[in-house]
Amino acid sequence: MDRETMMKTMRQAISNVLETMFFQPVQITGKNSTLQEWFSNKESLLGAALRFTGPSEGSFYVIIPVKLVSEITANFLGLDEEEVNAEQKIDTLKEALNMIGGHMFSLFNKEGDISLGIPELIEESNLKHDKLGKIKGDTLFIETADSHMAAGVITEMT
Amino acid sequence: MAFNVLIVDDSSSMRAIIKKIIKVSGFSVGEFLVAADGKEALKVLKDEWVDIVLTDINMPNMNGMELIAEMKKDELIRSIPVVMVTTEGSEKKMQEAMDLGASGYVKKPFLPEDIKRTLSSIMGEEDGQRDHDEDDEAGDF
Repeated sequence: MDRETMMKTMRQAISNVLETMFFQPVQITGKNSTLQEWFSNKESLLGAALRFTGPSEGSFYVIIPVKLVSEITANFLGLDEEEVNAEQKIDTLKEALNMIGGHMFSLFNKEGDISLGIPELIEESNLKHDKLGKIKGDTLFIETADSHMAAGVITEMT
Repeated sequence: MAFNVLIVDDSSSMRAIIKKIIKVSGFSVGEFLVAADGKEALKVLKDEWVDIVLTDINMPNMNGMELIAEMKKDELIRSIPVVMVTTEGSEKKMQEAMDLGASGYVKKPFLPEDIKRTLSSIMGEEDGQRDHDEDDEAGDF
């Protein structure tokens, strides 16, 4: 699987999942940025990672400001943002990543020989602004109506 | 007549949204039962009357494919229709699920209509109930 196809498919999967399931229109920028530049050091972030194995191995991740996670959780569950609890936010974040990863592979891995793991939360300490630079891989920088997020893939071998 | 639905997904948010879609779609549901993985689902299936199962594939402990395989081994629950609701959307996975005996397949991300259409076609055929012979076996649960 080539890197360009993977990133192109990831763009499509992110748009489809966020717009269909979370009513969140997104604009994927072509910016050549870094996670440290993209997020301010005042933002509180949540992140999740999902491992994939098979002919290609690696991980997907999403990093989203807590405020936006609240918004997409509320949209998903049909609740007001104030009603959303921490557990629901984490669960929705993981499910969003699960859907993005699964949808992405369904778009280009017709053989179905790539398996997905179970989404896991990225430790809060690794999402501190000064640690964001340590997260490697190809990253997409995404704008929503009122916020922004990032999603990426770290490939171990191709 | 109302039918009982078992929703199997490790995401509580996904369980809630599927339940909401079924509710607003106008189906006559007696009881919603939930499980976070295949193992929990088997326990529910042995303890409760279930008319249809909607299950994710990618779950810890026991995945959706293993759940169908286990159900097919058990005379009492083998005829319960199972719908896969999953991100695993490759042709190969879909075929694998159908070969194991799945009655339907809904890919995530989905629209509410996708769930409604799939349930309508299955429960229409099944008339929301398993046949009377199996009803007689219900006491063995």
